[in-house]
Amino acid sequence: MFHNSSQKKFWQFDGEAALEKQRYEANQKFRSKIMASGKPVSDSLFLDPHEEMVIFRHYEKRLIDFCSIFKPTMPKSVVGTAVMYFRRFYLNNSLMEHHPRIIMLTCSYLSCKVDEFNVSSTQFVGNLQETPAGQEKVLEQILEYELLLIQQLNFHLVIHTPYRPMEGLLIDLKTRYPMLENPEVLRKTADDFLNRATVTDVGLLASPSQIALTAVLNSASRAGLSMESYLTECMGLKDDKETMSKLMDTMRRMKHLTKKYELPKPEEVVMCKQKLERVYAEFSSSNLKRKRGYEEEHEVAKKPLLTEEEVWTDEDLDSL
Amino acid sequence: MDDQGCPRCKTTKYRNPSLKLMVNVCGHTLCESCVEMLFVRGSGNCVQCDTPLRKCNFRVQLFEDPAIDKEVEIRKKVLKIYNKREFDFPSLREYNDYLETVEEIVFNLTNNLEVERTRQIMEQYQRENRDVIQRNKVKLTREQEELEELLLLEQKSTEERRLELLEEEKRQLHAKRKNKQALLDELESSQLPACVLLAQHKDRAVQLEQQIEKQKQAVKTTIFSTGIPMGQTVSLQPVPEIREVLYHHQPLYIYTHGPPVPELDQLQRLGYLNHVRAASQQDMAGGYNSGLACHRAVQDAFSGLFP
Repeated sequence: MFHNSSQKKFWQFDGEAALEKQRYEANQKFRSKIMASGKPVSDSLFLDPHEEMVIFRHYEKRLIDFCSIFKPTMPKSVVGTAVMYFRRFYLNNSLMEHHPRIIMLTCSYLSCKVDEFNVSSTQFVGNLQETPAGQEKVLEQILEYELLLIQQLNFHLVIHTPYRPMEGLLIDLKTRYPMLENPEVLRKTADDFLNRATVTDVGLLASPSQIALTAVLNSASRAGLSMESYLTECMGLKDDKETMSKLMDTMRRMKHLTKKYELPKPEEVVMCKQKLERVYAEFSSSNLKRKRGYEEEHEVAKKPLLTEEEVWTDEDLDSL
Repeated sequence: MDDQGCPRCKTTKYRNPSLKLMVNVCGHTLCESCVEMLFVRGSGNCVQCDTPLRKCNFRVQLFEDPAIDKEVEIRKKVLKIYNKREFDFPSLREYNDYLETVEEIVFNLTNNLEVERTRQIMEQYQRENRDVIQRNKVKLTREQEELEELLLLEQKSTEERRLELLEEEKRQLHAKRKNKQALLDELESSQLPACVLLAQHKDRAVQLEQQIEKQKQAVKTTIFSTGIPMGQTVSLQPVPEIREVLYHHQPLYIYTHGPPVPELDQLQRLGYLNHVRAASQQDMAGGYNSGLACHRAVQDAFSGLFP
């Protein structure tokens, strides 16, 4: 249950400002680390938080696309979990440190496991449009990053997505709120809302039940139905003006956030990507060493494989 | 379990149930026939570790692991030298340290670690503590003797009791026979009618029976099987009473940050279950019912709703 989950305890934030701050700090941390290594680099080489956001959104979209054409069909909650992992991971890590291309695959791979969507690892990479050898390389990378991801998620692996709460709300509406003749008509628009909310920070700001309620209410108001009395009568908020106004405020914020979201422009993405690749070209050697230090020391046999891995780029994924 | 077998001729207990495994001081096994063959001249080397061995030192392997046999042998030897007892030491700590040293030595010798050094330590100890060892040995023998004496005494007493019982039974049998004979004699010589004589005889037989019974009761045991003498007063003082504050159950209350959720068993009554898919027969077999899924969904919908 959500009310005593790690999600409520550690992954709910007060406002967008707090999130901005965390991301900014992650960015700064990476910069200072590179600076500390003593390399003479100009500040303009690094991505600024806005550029990071552009790339983040681009890859998040790609993550969702990848999940939506996944065979066998992924349940919605698995996709939601994967996106949430992705979001949580880059809340405390810079995109310049770990490449989003591999992190996004690792996120969806992990969420398949956590959410009991049983696919084997070969089946998973089989969904990539790659040669078998390439798939194996990707798989190796996924497995390598998996532990890092879990660690960065602070081992809080259970994600409460708003999909089940929405089902619960619909059941409750059907049972206790006869004013609404057919709550099923709300489902489609509500689902749309949830999908749009997935790619925003809403999941880090509000509880899944609040998101679900917002989705349903939003859908109702679109259909020209008023559900004010559901809140006052069935939820028992009639006399609790304070909670009511707070709830309304949260819902308004969520609506605003989802409305504000827009996909980055393709030319902007291309520009930022180029910049990102430059950053990786510049620092990846030191980066690699840090991550795989132990392997390089002991497993000489793996060495040639590693250099090949780097050949695997975005373009392979683009064919998706 | 690995089957035990002779390492030389590869015979196993499975193939030859009457196989007898032997162990020598080095802790390696050989079967009896191999021992006979290899040690015809009374001595030879171990097949596995080349240690010179004597035939007379072979023992039947008692444990599954021959190393344990070896250890037992070594321990016996070591304890012959290290025979101090607890009251030879001023404090428990020193005694424990001493025991630790003994274990160390046994372990080292068993596992062939620093054998030379350990041997030296033992020899040195033996030189230094010769009279103590001798004294303890004498003491131990004396104690052993006392123990044996006690055992002998016990044996004697049980034997005596057995004989007594036998004697008693003989006497009873004799009395009964005498009684019977008396009846026959009387029937032969007396003028009284037979039925009276028979009745008299029966009375006498009953009396005799009672007498025997009484005697048996007289030889009552005076000791319980636990060794506590009968009739000893046991202290009947009540155990001191301990009073503690009684436990009061307080129902668990969880605040879910949301409106109250209907209880699982009320979902049907409130009509929630009309709006969820009914559970199929197969699902029910595993203990599932539609209420569970419904309850979970509603719970999730309400949990954390209020900011």
